[in-house]
Amino acid sequence: MARESLIGRLNRKVFGYLVSRFPPAPWSDLTRRTVETVQRQVPRSHAEKYELKTIWYWYPLYCLGGISFVAFIILTITGILLGFYYIPDGTIGFTRTGDVTSPAFRSMNFIMNDVPFGFMIRGLHHWSAHVMIAAVFLHMMRVYFTGAYKKPRELNWVLGVVLLLVTLFFGYSGYLLPANDLSRGAATIGINMAKSVPPLWLGQFQTLVFFGELDPTGFYIIRMYWFHVFILPLVGTLLMVLHMALVWIQGVAEPH
Amino acid sequence: MTLRMQSVKEGVYEERPGFPTQYGPERSDHQPGVPFWPHEVYRDLVIIFVLMAILLFLSAAYTPEVGPPANPAIQPFIVPDWYLLFSWGLLKLADVLPTIVFTDPLGNLINMDAAFWGNMLTFPLVLLPLLLLPFIDRGRETRPAKAAFRTAFGVAFFLGFLFFASLYATNDRILESWPFIADDALKWMVIVPPVLIFFATYVGVRRLGFRDMYWWNLLTIGAAFALVLLMTLWAFALVPWSIDGMDPISRLGTSLNPGTLPLTTFMLIVIIFSALLFYATAMLKEKKAKEVVLASSVIVFFAVVVFAKLFADSNFPATYATLKTLMLYSNFFIALPLFSLITFYLGTRTPYSTYEYLLNECYQCGKCHTVCPVTKVEDDALGGLNLVYNTFKKQHDGVPLWTCLACDACSAVCPLDIKYSDYILEERSKVATQGAAANGGRRYGE
Repeated sequence: MARESLIGRLNRKVFGYLVSRFPPAPWSDLTRRTVETVQRQVPRSHAEKYELKTIWYWYPLYCLGGISFVAFIILTITGILLGFYYIPDGTIGFTRTGDVTSPAFRSMNFIMNDVPFGFMIRGLHHWSAHVMIAAVFLHMMRVYFTGAYKKPRELNWVLGVVLLLVTLFFGYSGYLLPANDLSRGAATIGINMAKSVPPLWLGQFQTLVFFGELDPTGFYIIRMYWFHVFILPLVGTLLMVLHMALVWIQGVAEPH
Repeated sequence: MTLRMQSVKEGVYEERPGFPTQYGPERSDHQPGVPFWPHEVYRDLVIIFVLMAILLFLSAAYTPEVGPPANPAIQPFIVPDWYLLFSWGLLKLADVLPTIVFTDPLGNLINMDAAFWGNMLTFPLVLLPLLLLPFIDRGRETRPAKAAFRTAFGVAFFLGFLFFASLYATNDRILESWPFIADDALKWMVIVPPVLIFFATYVGVRRLGFRDMYWWNLLTIGAAFALVLLMTLWAFALVPWSIDGMDPISRLGTSLNPGTLPLTTFMLIVIIFSALLFYATAMLKEKKAKEVVLASSVIVFFAVVVFAKLFADSNFPATYATLKTLMLYSNFFIALPLFSLITFYLGTRTPYSTYEYLLNECYQCGKCHTVCPVTKVEDDALGGLNLVYNTFKKQHDGVPLWTCLACDACSAVCPLDIKYSDYILEERSKVATQGAAANGGRRYGE
């Protein structure tokens, strides 16, 4: 018997890998049917199918991804509202009494003191961010301990780790924006960390990419602002949709 | 006709001992899931509203302050948000790593200093393995109770390493509040407790699967005892290496020092305790060992409290100096015996609560049925009695629970090592306890 050609074997290998993870079911059809039928049902889970004893008190742990998504939606809404008033300009200036200030800092004080319920909007944004990061971290721990990252869900784990990084960067860029002392201190640490990567040109290049300057004078605020309100939401939302689509396709890995 | 069908059905089942006549409700393949509307939607709405309520409360009651403006003239004392503390702690820890400076073949100056090592610890060493996890861990086992190494590693890493690394980020505040804690002790805390947590969890999780972990206990307690002994010998035998004389461990040999007595007493307590633990685990039977370990732990706890009180009353600076020294070596002197104690407890308990989930592994091979002597003589069981499967599904009608001889023949042949008779005995004791509760606290026959 003739040996299969190299291309053929490669084809089988690649398609075999993909098909074993993402079975070629008519997902668009199934989705349409699910949306269109009146009595929509969550598909039967592995534990239900095989009548396994389920660890019901673990089920709240399976809400963590959903909680982080809800927090993300709250963050989006409150972030849009904050965006109407926030000025992403960290240029250092002085008040009439000689205190240090900047347009960003002034707009923060405006939001907190003058905008109706501005402090609530900012408070919601602040605390939702904490809830989201905590939920994402706990979600990762849940996936780790229940071994839910195993075949066929490797890709979703990798996506999840990237989303964790995106979330952490969201948080970091977010608390650089108010142009207060915490912002400046954290920017100093971030810039020093980015600069520390050898060789010199690489460290400086990536510092310029992420912060726009080699010493924290205030220009980093507009760079972080653009990451925080455009690049990260774009990348994050796309990855989140993909993340949840894969959960829909591959099913939830249940505790049993 | 129906009778005929019944006999045919039984005939079919007879040939497949793994699938006997079903007691209880008929199994059907159609099992509708939970409807999306309204069940799932209501549940989700409840979660969303509760979350929203918590967030509104937090933002009203604990409104985040803006704080003072960024001032280039002032170097602020800041602590990053809690989720970046681990990175900040690793950055601080990186001081212990050597600075390497060299020129690469392309002529670039490569400067590997503390900031660089901190970077490396955060990104490649923590996040890269996380990214590659599914390709490193290729096993198929998903249950945390059955994957002891993964679970133990996760607990040690997420709850141990990341927690203590975050803790180290606040080292200056800790040292300010508790001056008797040494910075080196906090540094070691990022390494030593996570390792101990790993061993404790590993032994505990293996025990959840009913493995005999007694020799592991002996190993961990032996290692703890050996390390404590070595450190004590080192402390007693070493010539004074500290010239300023402020380190009481080096001053142990030189008496007439007020710090010597409390320190020596405490170290003697620790070493006697470890020796006792080691003796009990190595020499005594398991049950006796448990009693000795429990009793000695209680005695040592009260001894420490009494001695601390005595010394604190008589000579406070000496106690303070003792604390300062002991905290420096706390990761080895105090954490080791403590964790070996926890490991001993986790490794010798009988975790009946995990039985039902271990039974989930049953794939109905029917070997237990084949070897079961009860099915050969008992009328109720003659039709076939897949013990594990039917008990687990609550389809036993009480038959296997009370006719089982607990002879363990089923466990002996079980390819998945399900200890069935232990489970039966546990279930019986539950029923007996319920009966006793109904009977005014007396068991049947009393």
